[in-house]
Amino acid sequence: MEENPNPVYKNKEYGQYRELFYSYGPDGQFEKSVGFHGESDRVTLQQAWDLFNDRIEEARQKVIAGKASPILYYMEKTLVTPMDLSMHAGIMVWRVKRHLKPNVFNRLSEKTLKKYAAAFNVTIDQLKNVQ
Amino acid sequence: MTKETIMIDYKHRQAGHCESGATSNLFNFYGVGMSEPMAFGIGNGLYFSYLPFLKLQYAPMMSFRNLPNTVFHRSMKYLGVDATVIKKFSDQKESMDALDRNLEKGIPTGMQVGVFNLTFFPPEYRMHYNMHNLVAYGKEGNDYWVSDTVMEFPQKISHEDLQRVRWAKGAFAPKGKMYWINTIKPDLDIKSAVEKGIKKTVYEMIKVPFPLIGVKGIHWLAKDLKKWPKKHGNETASFYLGQIIRMSEDFGTGGAGFRYIYGAFLKETGERFNNPELLAASVMMGNAANKWREFTYIGARNCKNRSKPEEDYGKLSDMLHEIAELEKAVYIKLDKIKV
Repeated sequence: MEENPNPVYKNKEYGQYRELFYSYGPDGQFEKSVGFHGESDRVTLQQAWDLFNDRIEEARQKVIAGKASPILYYMEKTLVTPMDLSMHAGIMVWRVKRHLKPNVFNRLSEKTLKKYAAAFNVTIDQLKNVQ
Repeated sequence: MTKETIMIDYKHRQAGHCESGATSNLFNFYGVGMSEPMAFGIGNGLYFSYLPFLKLQYAPMMSFRNLPNTVFHRSMKYLGVDATVIKKFSDQKESMDALDRNLEKGIPTGMQVGVFNLTFFPPEYRMHYNMHNLVAYGKEGNDYWVSDTVMEFPQKISHEDLQRVRWAKGAFAPKGKMYWINTIKPDLDIKSAVEKGIKKTVYEMIKVPFPLIGVKGIHWLAKDLKKWPKKHGNETASFYLGQIIRMSEDFGTGGAGFRYIYGAFLKETGERFNNPELLAASVMMGNAANKWREFTYIGARNCKNRSKPEEDYGKLSDMLHEIAELEKAVYIKLDKIKV
């Protein structure tokens, strides 16, 4: 595969596939071309992922320090809000928000943990131990 | 799991927009030559809505495309093609079995999927976006061959992964939605379909009596854009602006690209039916699309340097107002045209 000539991403996996573009030239023709996405797209994607990664890292620190439950970390990692998570896992929003507290999380039943694990697509062990 | 191999002779072609690409590929499979812009235009792919009260990935939501399945459903309806759409399944296993049965009969089947867990998708685009479309056309043991029109080549996906993305949860959940074409009559009335398609698009863009949809929505967005730096601070304002640009540039075709596709549709129909008015409208649409691209290019400068905006938000807002007026002129022109 051809490599992207101007990558700006910090992560090497990003920006390495080609897509189809339409454009309109001065001669009045609509043209199709295949290439890597343009400057403005790359800048905004990098901006968005910088923000997401900051939030994920912040959540991870909080969880390791014992100030929040692992659900917060996985929530940020999968880019969802408590509202979305409540839909994904089938648990009411106020309960999801309550489960963000570590001491409440530690008392959760196996059944509830299973629901969260399925929503995040991880095993229960991974859910409990954030590295 | 069965071990057999099924391969339908389905031609994958890359496209700018997932659903109209899938629709045009399906038409081509049944021997009706139809380009992507044609499917996009007839099926009303063009749209705009701005929903500030909903948040997508921490920023206000806006959409440059229609609701999922509109393109397929409307183009089938307007062309009078016998097609089946199963809106939802009650059982996950049943939805996969139905897909298997279709493949055994040799029918390439389109599906609505969520993007977040799609394994072959570029990681930077994996967000919770449930309106993506792909077509399954082959099975090899436990793996399916799918044609995702935004990718350059056909892709392979395992049974479990496909089931997961078909049952992605959240807003606009696909619930296993499937669609396919049964039969196509040889003489399609493209002219009346084009007429109906244009009429509906014009209605959706300028005649809906609600301020957040269509051209009025672009004006509303422009007004809000001006207020963002004062209301939320420079950092957040640039992130919100980034959201507009991402929505309009993602997959190279987002908002701006869709205007190009629509312009290509107007040009194609104008040449087909010898209509100079449509050709003139296509030129106007092309210019509006170029303006969108200019807007994203200039706006991206503010996203590069986040806390110190290089460009004035008032100027960007004026640009959006101008784009809205350019587009409005196209729709008013189209409203009067008889194909």
